Amino acid sequence: MFNWDATVVNMILKGIAETLYMTCVSTIFGYVLGLPLGVLCAVSDKEGIRPNQPLYRVLDIVINIVRSIPFLILLIVLIPFTRFVVGKSYGSTGTIVPLVISAAPFIARMVESSIKEVDHGVVEAAQSMGASNWTIIRKVLLPESRVSLITGVTIVFGTVLGYSAMAGTVGGGGLGDIAIRYGYYRYQADIMIVTVILLVALTQIFQFAGMKLASKLDRRRA
Amino acid sequence: MSDIIEVKNLVKTFTTKDATIEALKGIDLNIEEGDVFGIIGMSGAGKSTLVRCLNFLEKPTSGTVMVEGRELESLKDAELRKLRGSIGMIFQGFNLLMQSNVITNIMFPLEIAGADKDKALERARTLLKTVDLAEKEKAYPAQLSGGQKQRVAIARALATEPRILLCDEATSALDPQTTASILELLRKINKEMGVTIVVITHQMSVVREICNNVAIIEDGALVETGRVAEIFAHPKSKAAKRLIIEGKDPDEWEAQNKAIAGNGSMELPAELHEDRKIRIVFQTNSSYEPVIANMILRFGKPVNILRADTKNVGGTAKGEMILGLPKERDTQEEMIKYLKERDLAVEEVTGNV
Repeated sequence: MFNWDATVVNMILKGIAETLYMTCVSTIFGYVLGLPLGVLCAVSDKEGIRPNQPLYRVLDIVINIVRSIPFLILLIVLIPFTRFVVGKSYGSTGTIVPLVISAAPFIARMVESSIKEVDHGVVEAAQSMGASNWTIIRKVLLPESRVSLITGVTIVFGTVLGYSAMAGTVGGGGLGDIAIRYGYYRYQADIMIVTVILLVALTQIFQFAGMKLASKLDRRRA
Repeated sequence: MSDIIEVKNLVKTFTTKDATIEALKGIDLNIEEGDVFGIIGMSGAGKSTLVRCLNFLEKPTSGTVMVEGRELESLKDAELRKLRGSIGMIFQGFNLLMQSNVITNIMFPLEIAGADKDKALERARTLLKTVDLAEKEKAYPAQLSGGQKQRVAIARALATEPRILLCDEATSALDPQTTASILELLRKINKEMGVTIVVITHQMSVVREICNNVAIIEDGALVETGRVAEIFAHPKSKAAKRLIIEGKDPDEWEAQNKAIAGNGSMELPAELHEDRKIRIVFQTNSSYEPVIANMILRFGKPVNILRADTKNVGGTAKGEMILGLPKERDTQEEMIKYLKERDLAVEEVTGNV
């Protein structure tokens, strides 16, 4: 069995920090790309406030293609691009680029479906007041779907966390990396178990916090 | 007075994959400034499409719509949006921002119009008072009843001081009492602020309650238009006859046209001079229980049904009635007791009903 000295504890703490770093930064940049993309989809679809079928079809196909590529493949295919963007293709920072690229279309779909939940009547009311499409997006579609959007963030966070662990197989850093290197390659089951438990705990904490926030912000109940 | 809305030969067709649907087939309509104008028709007649053409939420296929002397077709997008800002609109489903509180909802059109925030707040508070909801400023729509939500929607629609208010089935989701209070509010708005009101409805009672003029549409065409009193007294078109005679509240029609008659096979009772009138509200009673008939049989005295608006909702009677009670004090008290025992809400009413 492994000796649980300070080195191991420090390594695991560092792993937690790296995992959180990768997940948070990737989720944020994922939304920087995915949120506008999702809004664009919802708005340009035929039931949207500015239907544009050609645009919607293109977005739809691109999103489906990127979403279909397995994350591990994307990780490898994107190596040159990652190097170009952040200067290196390994480590936590190197993992963020493929994480963002793979999360963004997923996020776009979540955002699209959240926005499509907004009652068309409210949109119509805003139109009857003379609101422009941009105003409707900012003042009606996004605020009215905020509960669903936050639930979406929670789901995205969990998914990205899982992907970040997968990036460990190619030297991505973080808890997944530790689980693979020590637990899998060196047969140190106790370290693997501890890291897996930590990953589960992190997911649970964020899930819980996200749902709590969502329901706290929901004014639809009396 | 001049016409604030003029509609000429309005046609709207919807094209779907399989068919072309003619929603409006050449409508001509003039609405005078300061009027309360009803547009009535069965569901699917095209009335909602028509009202949406009045502020170009739906673009007509052909024909012209003039609002305050401006032809909507000729307006650029930005001008059209500005004009829409000066036409208030309320809906059957209220369409409030569910995640914003009451005051923010009312300020919304002012925010769109780019108004000063303090002024908007002040205006919104004034309007909240107008619609009798001053204490609900911070409430969220989900915490309000249907009638209160519609009041908020009305306040919101009036925020930009529009000259026109479009009401699309605004009372269809409300119970009779709430409908009456909303209509009262609309009447007040029309009288005190001089706002021209266009009422879309399928309820005859609504038209009779507040409209001066009415247009009846059927299958996308206008079949009859004119003064409400006239059309109600002498409906000419088939649609008008059907709406008025077989419509939602035919009892009220007969009540208005003739004095109330008793059962045809019995001798008519001596004229009733009821000095005491009560209003009863059906909420939980079975619609199979003939409450009033049983009461008459039991006491052997006639009551006068002055107004009735009841319907069967899944076996439960819902609605209200106003009864004129017989002269004898004792019988009156006993009848009230009898009704109360049957779980009816009973209250005294005074004046003309």
